[in-house]
Amino acid sequence: MLSFGAVLVGFLYSDTRNWRSSISRSIGRIPGDTALGTFPVDINLTIQIIILTELLLFGGAFGEYFAIRARFVYWPPAGSPVLDDFIARIQTLILISSSVLIEWAVWQLKLGKQRAFKAGLVGTTVLGSLFPILQFGFEWPHLILSNILTPASGFFGASFYLLTGIHGAHVVVGVIAYCYTDIRAFMGQYTPNNHGFVEATSTYWHFVHIIWLFLFALLWQGSRLLA
Amino acid sequence: MARESAFGLKLGDFGIFVIFTAIYAAGTLGLPKLALLTYQVKVGEIPTAFVAIFGMPAVLGLTLGQFIANLGVEASPIASLTPIFSFIGLLVIYYSRKFSTLAGCIVYILITSAWLTFLLPTVSQVPQSAVAYSVLAGQFIAVIIGYLGYLLVRKSMLNKHETANEPKATVSS
Repeated sequence: MLSFGAVLVGFLYSDTRNWRSSISRSIGRIPGDTALGTFPVDINLTIQIIILTELLLFGGAFGEYFAIRARFVYWPPAGSPVLDDFIARIQTLILISSSVLIEWAVWQLKLGKQRAFKAGLVGTTVLGSLFPILQFGFEWPHLILSNILTPASGFFGASFYLLTGIHGAHVVVGVIAYCYTDIRAFMGQYTPNNHGFVEATSTYWHFVHIIWLFLFALLWQGSRLLA
Repeated sequence: MARESAFGLKLGDFGIFVIFTAIYAAGTLGLPKLALLTYQVKVGEIPTAFVAIFGMPAVLGLTLGQFIANLGVEASPIASLTPIFSFIGLLVIYYSRKFSTLAGCIVYILITSAWLTFLLPTVSQVPQSAVAYSVLAGQFIAVIIGYLGYLLVRKSMLNKHETANEPKATVSS
């Protein structure tokens, strides 16, 4: 336990001691038209490692779902509600639109069209922020308060809230990353030759999107199988 | 910044891959089938011809989209083989794009229709003769709509390319 604590403290110290200078370097102290140069770590490698860890996380969560599902002759179990997919369809449309928009924005940046790039980036952030608002502000309260499906209503309910909860948290992280990217974009820190962070953020966003497609198929459309 | 993988794909292609996955999966699961001339047309099949423009990421994306769409419907385990046949058909479009995308699309229609004509009577006990014609017509309408869209996009891309290459007029005094 003591050794674990020592390793953790050492890791946190080494990881955070440069935060102040890194943040001030990336946000505050650089003139608008200054390119940052190459990212100190290969951003492609970084995002590939992040995606790999996310794959392991969601792989475990989906593994749990299928392991439970395999124990039942019929799935969803008897008594589970057929979920109305109206909000889920809107969320799917939001994610498709935002994925197309960010690809377009990156393309505009590569062409050197800064205004179009910024418009696309802000549009993606706005669309992205609508997703958790719909999920945590409308769908979850509606399902729980109307007693349609709660985390305590059997295996289907527990799986539903676990999977959509983990995914929703990742969407929130994606929106935060986009807000940070927006700030840097409006400071003029991205150029046709320096946009690795934007592409890394968009790759993460596309990954979150693809996980949602699995959730939409398994949970919302899957809830209709019994009916 | 983009780095090529062992399959010749770049990290930047991930967006195209996901967009095509989403179009197929959401177009099949989230949208009702279009009723055209009494035939049921799957919206997800419409972007098939765009493989000729977007390449391998679109091929893989549409295949994964079909896999995801199959997760949301009750079907026998044999139905999970459907993406394999689509993948073969999409590869034909991809490799035939240099001489005839239309020929590739027709081969795709034939491959997927033949598979579905075999599959549907197996999983739902409908007569094969009733299925064959409607499946072929539905696939044909969907893919040809997409092919027309592909021609429009290709034409606009060629126009832009020609405009960009035109010599700029010089003003003489």
